[in-house]
Amino acid sequence: MYYLGVDLGSLSCDAVLIDENESILASSVVLTGARNREAIAGATADVLSAAGIDEKDVAATVSTGYGRDRVERRTAAVTEITCHARGVTALLKGTQVLIDIGGQDSKAVKLDGAGQVTDFAMNDKCAAGTGRFLEAMARALEVDISELSDLDKGASGDLTISSMCTVFAESEVVSLIAEGVEVNEIVSALNRAIATRIVALVKRISPSINGNSVAMSGGVAHNAGVIRALSAAMQTDVTVPPQPDTVGALGAALIAKERSRQG
Amino acid sequence: MIAMMLQYFENIVSGLEAKIKENPDGTNARKKYTLETVRLGQRLYSGTDKVAWCGVTVPYDVLAAMGVTSCFTEFIGATLANSGLVGSYLEESEHAGQAAETCGYHRAVIGAAMKGMMPTPEFMIASTCPCSGGVAVMENLARMMDRDLFVLHIPQEENEHSVRFLAGQLKEMTAFVSAHTGEALDEDKLREAMQYSNQTRDLLVEVYDLAKKVPSPANGRLMGNFGIVAALFLGTRAGVDVVQAYRDEFKETVERGASGVPDERLRLMWIQNRIQFKNPLVDMLEKEYKASIVIDELNDIEWGPINLDDPFTSLARRAISVSLNGSVSRRVNHLQELARDYKIDGAVNPCHWGCRQGTGSRGLVQAGLGEIGVPVANLEVDCVDSRNFAEGQLRTRLEAFVEMLETRASPLRQSA
Repeated sequence: MYYLGVDLGSLSCDAVLIDENESILASSVVLTGARNREAIAGATADVLSAAGIDEKDVAATVSTGYGRDRVERRTAAVTEITCHARGVTALLKGTQVLIDIGGQDSKAVKLDGAGQVTDFAMNDKCAAGTGRFLEAMARALEVDISELSDLDKGASGDLTISSMCTVFAESEVVSLIAEGVEVNEIVSALNRAIATRIVALVKRISPSINGNSVAMSGGVAHNAGVIRALSAAMQTDVTVPPQPDTVGALGAALIAKERSRQG
Repeated sequence: MIAMMLQYFENIVSGLEAKIKENPDGTNARKKYTLETVRLGQRLYSGTDKVAWCGVTVPYDVLAAMGVTSCFTEFIGATLANSGLVGSYLEESEHAGQAAETCGYHRAVIGAAMKGMMPTPEFMIASTCPCSGGVAVMENLARMMDRDLFVLHIPQEENEHSVRFLAGQLKEMTAFVSAHTGEALDEDKLREAMQYSNQTRDLLVEVYDLAKKVPSPANGRLMGNFGIVAALFLGTRAGVDVVQAYRDEFKETVERGASGVPDERLRLMWIQNRIQFKNPLVDMLEKEYKASIVIDELNDIEWGPINLDDPFTSLARRAISVSLNGSVSRRVNHLQELARDYKIDGAVNPCHWGCRQGTGSRGLVQAGLGEIGVPVANLEVDCVDSRNFAEGQLRTRLEAFVEMLETRASPLRQSA
């Protein structure tokens, strides 16, 4: 039997298919776009096709993410907090704190040794410091978002971005470019601004972060510069599992298997 | 505007009376509660009653004994939010310069007054507890409506001096009321009102004791705003009847072996304010997770019976006794006590936007409940301003909180 996890977020729709042994058979990340039904269908078709599995052989599907109630084939909907916790524990046993930065959400999740959530904190009202924020900054810097990862190298770290609002920060970045400030200084400042916001969330759930095993998931985990800034701000290593954007979907698939067993 | 509100209340009154008539043998607790609440609204807008706009911690039973129909102003904010009409009143006050970061109840009240939606009272009585924002609103209204304002300064700690201080003010308050109504305080009517208050108090204690049962006969709908609005009925026969209906309904539910939320799985405490506009969150908690709000912070009796021979001292103690009015440490102790008594799995704190005295202590409240193993979901919601309601975000937080509660055994249940 096979189990499917679908994570429908604001930017991407991710799907993971696992088997009875909890091995990942296939995963897919597609842009959500304006038509999330197509994104769900696309991501699901990708993983079924890649694994050579027929839809009828999927025993259970758990959906997660903001759009979790839109996944019609779902057996159950579970929040991304629970799914990310489950997924990251499967990949990185012993994780105590999970940082997830997605398209419009950032969260800090405290885990017990078995991957159960014991506390969590999320950004409220404002998407500053999330994937959308970095998209806007990449646009202002006229680079592809994938290039942001290493653009901070060699920066002195003296520059501070004073605005955290995405719109005002974008204006500030444009002004800094016009003033001739080096791109690496700007990107370093942006990374440190994100780290400051995230550390505030982490401290709410884990006041003494030192010594904790910290992992990161979500699309922004591909950004090595943000990871460096987080590590420096928390003075602790941050581990990124393989395919960090599908951690939520993996957790959903694992929960689908558990619930299928419970009947 | 006044006529429109009166019609609104009258429509609801006739609808509820009809529904209660359809089931005369039923306890109809919530219908009776709602009916009395709406009848109060009817009286406030009738133009025939002597009306006083007040702060939250004012002795409504004394005012009832003096023939005054009184209510806290926040009632109007809540009513507008519940009716779905609050947006334009909030805008009215914000356009006039009221900061959007201040309490939505108070912004709605100011906006309602500016739009001629608040009946002009005979006088006003403010209370310094629970918040200074409430006093500022009363001062504002007194100026707008050109009415005299009496301010009750409520001490935060109970001791011999603070009780005497407040008791003295309460007596001055009655002189203030007499001067504006032309009628002296009738001692017999006061005694009768205090007797009704004591009866209501005893029944409330029974209601809350029944709600402690596992499973509880309470649920989110039944207990929403119950304690804070029941205070408006103190001193009246109607108050006794409403709370008795609750007591009878809870008793019957318990005797039947039923519960307020069928197959109750999780027990929640709701901190401070309910969200006043219609929203799916409580239903979602109950239907999808079998999570029942069995107690609200504001649904509790912390005061002893009124001494009929020395009512003002008792009334002073009553006002000071409300933990929300006191220091944060007293408030946290009270919340811990409620959590233990009601065997709570988790607590929800909406952290009403703009409520400085409430949300300023949220970290201490969370830490205090955490000490006894009760997690707290701190939300970010304006309990009155539906324009800023981020349903998706709030659902995710509440659902994740409940998913977390489902995986753990509450230490308070284990010690049962």
